[in-house]
Amino acid sequence: MGKAMFKLVIGLVVGGGLWFTAKAMGFPPVYQWAFFSYAAVGTVVFLLLDIPSMKPQSGWGAALSVLLFFGLLCVGYGAGASLLPQFDPEDEKGKNAKVLGSAKSGNPLDPWKADEVIQRTKELDEKVKELEARIKALGSGSAPVAQPGGAAPVTASVPAPGGASGGDLLKVGEEQWQLQECYNCHKLRGDGGKKRGPELDNIGTYLTIEEIKQKIFDPKSFMAEGFEKEWEKGRMPDKFKDVMSDSEMIALATWLHSFAGKNPSVITPKPIKKK
Amino acid sequence: MRHLVTFVAFLALCVTGAASVYAQTPGSPSVEFPYTGNRAAVWIVAQFHTLLGAFILGAPIFVVMAEWLGYRKQDLRYDRMAKEVTKITVILFSLTALTGGLFIFVLLATYPQFTTWFINQFYLVFAVIYPLMFILGTMALYAYFYTWDAWKGEKKGRHIALGVLLNLLCLATMFAINGPTSFMNTPVKEEGISPMEALAAATLWDKIANASWMPMNIHRIDGNIAFGGFVVGLIAAYMHMGAKNQEERAYYDWMGFAGNLIAVGAMLLQPFTGLLLAYQMCDYDFSFCQYMMVEQLSMFFEMQGAVVGLMFLGCNYYVWLSLRRIQGVEQVRMTVLAPIVMVLFPPVAIWGLTTYWIPEPMSLAILIPLALAPFILGRFIPGTVSVHTVMKIGFLMVVVSDAIWLTPNGFAATEARMLDDLKLPESWDFLGKMPTKLGAIFSLVFATTINYILYGKAIRQGTIAWGKIDGISQFVLIFLAFTSIWAMGLMGAVRSLLRKFFHTYNLIPDFTAESFTPTLSYSAWLITGITVVFFIVVSVAVFVALRPVELKGREPEGSPVPAGTK
Repeated sequence: MGKAMFKLVIGLVVGGGLWFTAKAMGFPPVYQWAFFSYAAVGTVVFLLLDIPSMKPQSGWGAALSVLLFFGLLCVGYGAGASLLPQFDPEDEKGKNAKVLGSAKSGNPLDPWKADEVIQRTKELDEKVKELEARIKALGSGSAPVAQPGGAAPVTASVPAPGGASGGDLLKVGEEQWQLQECYNCHKLRGDGGKKRGPELDNIGTYLTIEEIKQKIFDPKSFMAEGFEKEWEKGRMPDKFKDVMSDSEMIALATWLHSFAGKNPSVITPKPIKKK
Repeated sequence: MRHLVTFVAFLALCVTGAASVYAQTPGSPSVEFPYTGNRAAVWIVAQFHTLLGAFILGAPIFVVMAEWLGYRKQDLRYDRMAKEVTKITVILFSLTALTGGLFIFVLLATYPQFTTWFINQFYLVFAVIYPLMFILGTMALYAYFYTWDAWKGEKKGRHIALGVLLNLLCLATMFAINGPTSFMNTPVKEEGISPMEALAAATLWDKIANASWMPMNIHRIDGNIAFGGFVVGLIAAYMHMGAKNQEERAYYDWMGFAGNLIAVGAMLLQPFTGLLLAYQMCDYDFSFCQYMMVEQLSMFFEMQGAVVGLMFLGCNYYVWLSLRRIQGVEQVRMTVLAPIVMVLFPPVAIWGLTTYWIPEPMSLAILIPLALAPFILGRFIPGTVSVHTVMKIGFLMVVVSDAIWLTPNGFAATEARMLDDLKLPESWDFLGKMPTKLGAIFSLVFATTINYILYGKAIRQGTIAWGKIDGISQFVLIFLAFTSIWAMGLMGAVRSLLRKFFHTYNLIPDFTAESFTPTLSYSAWLITGITVVFFIVVSVAVFVALRPVELKGREPEGSPVPAGTK
């Protein structure tokens, strides 16, 4: 009993030490408690090492013990997993429906309903062309943008975010950014990323809308400086041409382009043309 | 039993036969499973079939190894264990076939269009190769079981050869079905052309030998051996509790030891073969990596860390309890370098892997000499420590390593919902990265390996009193079996969910309302339910196969006689 008490005290001291050290080092409270719980688990393990021997069980007593033990394991695993942060499927449900668009499973050999998709693409293409013509005509939509470090000249106009039709296009672009989860690898406006892919705030200062679209369509077409390994390994998935329509890619490219120069302090690596 | 099997088969055919007729009608709606929904219905049947399949593929490897060891060592216990496990395998073999059929029928009923398309893609596998291999495997298993007593003594080698043939057939069966399974995650693709065009140009072999096929084969072979071993441990625990005399207790104590030893040997490789599979998938499409490690499935991996950590603690605790029945264990000592390296392992491994991440070989050039240091340099260093001291440090390092593994980048289910007060401080964010996690896994494996080497040394140097094992150890064996089944269910769910809203990734979308990532909580309770059902089935099989032998008493003429004892 004395040994067990000693171990409990040691466990508390270690747990407390970890808690305060973590606090002093700037860990958020959730980590302080996590470290404390690791010490608690360690204490339980060391208490179990000294637990007195148990006589082998048999008969109905053994059967009952096994059943109780199963119950404990079931509750332990089920409840343990439930205590961890849970992903909300509602976040995904709407997203998936949008990604899959209006296509419904008809012929399994043509799951995307190619005819409907082509028709929709044509309509969107016409809309994009119409928008581009209107933007050119307006002229004021072309904002002069900074070109740091010998950047390629901007050859395409940036649609005015305030305009109704331009706004639609930008809205579609932003929606695609969310739906395709580009933020998992790329940082934009200070959100997302984690250095898996280049920050994209100023991509519009280097590439035209058409070039950005080309990069989305064929990830091997451009390589960002400093991301040689990622480019060689083909880290950017080569699937967007299959899951996005041409218009959706244009919308995303236009939306990305619209941020050019808005935050010049962000360093977007220079893209190098590869194809 | 035969009537029961026939009745279940009949019911399955009645229920699913109608569904399969439905499936042939173009545009016909799929059935709606009440209570569970279609996805969970497929999940339950598929997981149950996979668990049974894992056992019937893993057990023969285990059985032949045991039979061969018994033959080599002239130890009758190995032979008896092998035969008892084969008896249970025979029962579970037929259940695997039944659930396999049920799986296809449920798929046809719930996802008729996709299933028809999928079967068409692998027509030769589903209609010819897989059934043929299964039939040949069944014939080999029955022949193996029924020739056990006839092919003893000088004919034992012939019987072992038959067991090897059975294993080859089982492996071929698994390789064949892993083709379509892995294809759903990583179908053929070609740069510059659409997935459908790539598929149209692909041969059957291209579809089977897809990017994740071989890593999955390796992971499953290793996993099935571990799984088979843990289930043998479970059987031994049941029988140990039901033993009527000391002789039986001694035998089932030994059986638990042998099953656990083989399981742990295979389990030590599991994290690495699993990593190879994950690495290959990330290489195929990097968005898999995000989905697994930082997005929707990140907490599934947190749970995996907890479960695997518990398994490592469990198998080390079994050794600790086992030492209590070894006389003379106090005299067993080990070089002081072993615990020193155990303590050094996590920081060195994390530094090495962070600096030289895979596939740079330099990290191995650091880790391999470090791991071998106690064995090579230990003999030149005079200091030694007792077995209990080494093991206590081992336990400490297992807890520390698992704590490192468990420390997430942030306590949020997705990066999108990550608030600043939920994530690691920037200077400590290496704790949440893959090199750190792999370093922690290496440390867990190293500490456990040292403990098991020490256990072997204690068995050789001391006197082991079979049957006198601590009663708690039998619960540890049950815990290990339960946890390994649960972990398998969890990782199986992860692999399947990786396809996101596709039946076959990037090729055939899933338009149903259930096409979303479920919560970890929902998945965990479902996996727990499946594990319980599997446990009930195995328990019934153990009771049916082994209990009557206990009641009647073992007949001497049925006992196997290895060569040289005649």
